[in-house]
Amino acid sequence: MNDSFKPRKLLMAAYLLPSFFTYLFIFILPSIMSIILSFFKFSSIKAFRFIGFQNYLMLLKDSNIWLALKNNLFLVFTCMIGQIGIAFVLSCLLNSRLTYLSTPLRTIIYFPVTLSAVVIGYVWKFVFDYNYGLITYFCNFVGKEEWIRPWLSDGNTIMWFICIPMIWQYVGFHIVIMMSAMSSIDPSIYEMAEIDGATGFQKATKITLPLIKSTLFVCVWLCISANMKAFDHILSMTNGGPGMSSNVLSLYAYTVAFRNSNMGYGSAVSVFILAITSLLFALSQIVKNAIAEKE
Amino acid sequence: MKAAHILKCLLMTLLPAIYAVTCIFPVVWLFYTSFKTMGEFSISVLALPESFLRLDNFIYVLTEVNVLKYMLNTLRITVVVLFFVVLFSFINGYFLARFKFRGRGFLAVLYTCNLVIPAHAVLVPTYILFSRINLSNHWYSTVLPMVCMELTVGIFLVSGYIQTVPKELEEAAAIDGSSFSRTLFTIILPVVRPVLITCAIITFFHCWNEFSFSLILFNTEELFTLPLALMRFKGEYSVDYPRIMTTMFVSIVPALLIYICFSKQIIKGMMAGAVKG
Repeated sequence: MNDSFKPRKLLMAAYLLPSFFTYLFIFILPSIMSIILSFFKFSSIKAFRFIGFQNYLMLLKDSNIWLALKNNLFLVFTCMIGQIGIAFVLSCLLNSRLTYLSTPLRTIIYFPVTLSAVVIGYVWKFVFDYNYGLITYFCNFVGKEEWIRPWLSDGNTIMWFICIPMIWQYVGFHIVIMMSAMSSIDPSIYEMAEIDGATGFQKATKITLPLIKSTLFVCVWLCISANMKAFDHILSMTNGGPGMSSNVLSLYAYTVAFRNSNMGYGSAVSVFILAITSLLFALSQIVKNAIAEKE
Repeated sequence: MKAAHILKCLLMTLLPAIYAVTCIFPVVWLFYTSFKTMGEFSISVLALPESFLRLDNFIYVLTEVNVLKYMLNTLRITVVVLFFVVLFSFINGYFLARFKFRGRGFLAVLYTCNLVIPAHAVLVPTYILFSRINLSNHWYSTVLPMVCMELTVGIFLVSGYIQTVPKELEEAAAIDGSSFSRTLFTIILPVVRPVLITCAIITFFHCWNEFSFSLILFNTEELFTLPLALMRFKGEYSVDYPRIMTTMFVSIVPALLIYICFSKQIIKGMMAGAVKG
């Protein structure tokens, strides 16, 4: 690799150092700071006091945290099943040579991924709106007025209504990933299965599914990381309400740090998010290894 | 037999087609609701407007809400971020893929840090850091955090691409007496242009929709980006639904146009990234 055209050390440093220092200062330094800050109590950005593990003790006793964590885990699992499930079915259909227009359809289905979460949140707010919502409109249309409920103000079911837009938006994303994995499967495998009389369903579950397993794990991974940082969708749809019932960890960290000006505690919550996310990654890796070993 | 085959194909197409309709519907709905009054909207949320020539909502959004100002704020940030992301990704991707040097492994790992550390974990320290060094609440405040968040994917895409470019290219240039920098920018840069475009497009959408850093680093309305402004307006104009929907429609038009023009490249780029990831 050490070639004739390799530049001298000084020139190389001149190329690499600007981005290195930017990254170090803008991203790595704050990451380390957030751990340090979680041991302090702030009254403003200039006055802070060391309080040891008190923020973490408070965190363990804070019932809001556990509710938010529960909501996050609910989001992770529901979206994992919803997004990956729907995306798998749709990619199998789109990948089949029997399906018409599969490329334009895929292009359209990917489109919501490029929309801002704030727009998605509002559009779905209009869909679920009690007075003018689309669902209300359809209930009236089919003459079932008694079905109409204030969907977004019922704390018990709110998380389901938060999930729907998030699943809907990212199905296209997972379809693109899955279809790129499917395109590398040798078509002669399917042809042979067809000669043996396999149905479409059998082809999907017995051939496609095992062959794109490693890609499905990438999808699971992306799902975990995306849903652990769910923030703007919920901020724009319900702002964590009604009450605290649709609160999630990152929204809670933001609320605590910036609306209640308790930055030390906010940092502790951020560190907690980081810990939980790493734990979920580790867990998914264990599951992956367990499945690999079984075979 | 032929008819049965066509029927089967139609059935296969049905489900993805329905899903695609739900994906395009919101934009269509936002578009035609922009021509409605609140009165029309409250009678029927789905009906088409009485006239497609009623531009009151658009005029209101462009003059009173001044959506163009927010669009300009967003665009300004996006352009600067794009420049740095493309430049840094190109340089780092090239060096990491081509040369062995001390600290190479460290650099490669360093730039993948934000796959593990979410942006929300650094919001508080970023706010404190930027306030202390007086970098918050300027139009360029969110530029550097955004560049850092986007670098990972860019470097990954570029270094993957460079590996497929033959080294003989640079060797020949060196023999002909071209300096390193000249080779880098006049020979390598044009070769990797496709991947830089992909990287720029992906970054564009992230910038256009960026929310968290803008939320904490901008606190004067003058500096607001589109998502931030939308968030604020819902509170102020919550009674007039068509007006909010017009604002949303106008705010997604640029992204929509870019998507229509580049959808092929976007999806190809995504696929390339997914295959390697």
